[in-house]
Amino acid sequence: MARDSEREEVHEYLLLNRIFEEKVLEEYEDSGIPELPHLSIGQEAVGVGGTFAFEADDWLAPSLRTRAVMLMRLSLRDVVTGMYGTKSSPTEGRTTQHHLGSSENHILGTTGLIGSHLNVAVGAGLSARQLDEDRVTGVFFGDGAATRGEFHTAINYAAVEDLPVVFILENNQWIEETPAMDVIAVEENISEMAGHDIPKEVIDGQDVDVVLESVSGAVERARSGEGPTLIEAKTYRYRPHAEVIPERRDEKEIEEWKERDPVHLHEERILDDGLVDEEWIEAKRAEITEEVNSAFEFAKNDPMPAEDVMYQVYKDTEIDENGGVVR
Amino acid sequence: MTELTVRESINQALAEEIERDERVFLYGEDVGDYGGLYQVTEGLQEQLGDDRVFDTPLSETTLGGTVVGAALTGSRPIVEIMFGDFLSVIADHLINYAAKMHFNYGDGTSVPLVVRTTYGGGDQFGLHHSQDPMPWFQNVPGLKMVAPATPYDYKGLLKAAVRDDDPVVFFENKQRYEVSGDVPDEDYTVPIGEADIKRRGEDMTIVAIGGMVDVAMEAADELDAQGYDCEVIDPRTVMPLDKETILESVKKTHGLTIVHESAQFGGMGGEIAAEAADEALYYLDAPVKRVAAPFTPVPFAENLEQSYLPNADDVEAAVIDALEG
Ligand SMILES: Cc1ncc(C[n+]2csc(CCOP(=O)(O)OP(=O)(O)O)c2C)c(N)n1
Repeated sequence: MARDSEREEVHEYLLLNRIFEEKVLEEYEDSGIPELPHLSIGQEAVGVGGTFAFEADDWLAPSLRTRAVMLMRLSLRDVVTGMYGTKSSPTEGRTTQHHLGSSENHILGTTGLIGSHLNVAVGAGLSARQLDEDRVTGVFFGDGAATRGEFHTAINYAAVEDLPVVFILENNQWIEETPAMDVIAVEENISEMAGHDIPKEVIDGQDVDVVLESVSGAVERARSGEGPTLIEAKTYRYRPHAEVIPERRDEKEIEEWKERDPVHLHEERILDDGLVDEEWIEAKRAEITEEVNSAFEFAKNDPMPAEDVMYQVYKDTEIDENGGVVR
Repeated sequence: MTELTVRESINQALAEEIERDERVFLYGEDVGDYGGLYQVTEGLQEQLGDDRVFDTPLSETTLGGTVVGAALTGSRPIVEIMFGDFLSVIADHLINYAAKMHFNYGDGTSVPLVVRTTYGGGDQFGLHHSQDPMPWFQNVPGLKMVAPATPYDYKGLLKAAVRDDDPVVFFENKQRYEVSGDVPDEDYTVPIGEADIKRRGEDMTIVAIGGMVDVAMEAADELDAQGYDCEVIDPRTVMPLDKETILESVKKTHGLTIVHESAQFGGMGGEIAAEAADEALYYLDAPVKRVAAPFTPVPFAENLEQSYLPNADDVEAAVIDALEG
């Protein structure tokens, strides 16, 4: 269990993730947001607990749904302007917020290709070894990504080289509109697919304390040279894959998962333990809501980028807009 | 100056760059103790240590992904992909990752990786070990492609590629590893993005890529004996292209012939021809000719493969056809 002050901080991040994404949904439904929301509501404990387990200069590669990595490592203003693609957004509108990279904040940029970041994360682990740096790399990915060759090749290489990488499988049971177990040939746990010789843990992804403990252990092993770990966190998203996609999952299934809501679970526990009281929670909620709202206000009033920002193609060579070298 | 083969000049460039910068390392299938399928990395592991030169699984997916990840986190990795044909496996990491991260980061981050690979026919290796894959990547903004021709350029451009902050695919022509030439003894680089005029001439501009530079030079000699004075331009960097040098030459010679080993249709020749049509049409006194492979996979049988590959006679015929009609 984390120290008391850390438990409060973890709860603030859970609240931030939840309040932020509820606001995204509300804005998207009210007036639209240029970036199509792929919400993580319901599975925040994996991202929050997972991210919290790393040091600030460890590298993290989020899945498209690991909003926690972005919210915990970037400013709210960067995240929200990123979704609107405005002038003040981190890439001045060149890319969506989903796949943003930041060397400053040690977020590995990703791509719109699910799972292509798995070996990239292993490369960050390789880099740490080559440069003799003490950094661990965490990579979050979904059950769908685990069906790609990337998954097997990444785990094999990380394991055979004992690289400091923590694989965090966010098993939310669904691959877009397909139930994961319809297309995965194992009995119960997706991590069984990786027959490789590395430690594997299957954990309750709704309980942030469990996630934090499991990932912290894996980070510690990685840092002390014991190599990678695969953690499968069982979880669930309350919203459809993306907001344009109609819900076709069983209402009962969704309701059952809501009974073990990750924010609520943690809230009950810290209240029961007398760590905080209802007032603290109300005050935090109000504070975070205010910050989130003001980030949206800012983004909605932020001007659009100048057109020349889209010609950021090469760092070391100047080109014209048809790819000719400017001498 | 020392006379070196292309193989030796690449080997030296690798050794010097790995020695020079502790962030540089070299990995790939069989590159370690064995010294690489083409023995380009021979002795490097022994010389530099197995922490700087090492073998990997037969997984281009791992190579493509890890080389990007390492380059994004402070290393300057060099990976060897045994055959250029296998770039199709790492195409995702090259196209969607390496080429796009400078665009996708807001803080100037780029991806300083080098992919070394071999390409080209002539060994009867068949359709999956003989291709020239450059056109697959020529419309990928953010990627750099380098295809040198001489030992001097091989060494200088490889060293420049390692020092470049952007992702570079470095193409080594299988038929040219034994070609030799003078290489300076001191440290030097050849700038990426700069074409080289390999031969000066007044009557025709021949732009030749990679292994075809030697072919064009041979043709230029033969044409010279017949009274045609050709200028041979070697772009050296295929992407992004030094169009200016090519267009200046076309404006002087009033002719343009382009030679490459990949298929004519969809190749760089079409792009260069279109640039000339756009920027120098009224300077042209002759039709633009492309000498390239036919639109078919690289065939296996010796006579078929030889007929597939452009040679000096083909270049000579194209130039005479353009000039004499
Ligand atoms: C390589 C690739 N294939 C397909 C898609 C389309 N796609 C986007 S998200 C997604 C489902 C991903 O499922 P999972 O990996 O379980 O992550 P989750 O969305 O559940 O977090 C699909 C099929 C894609 N973006 N990339």
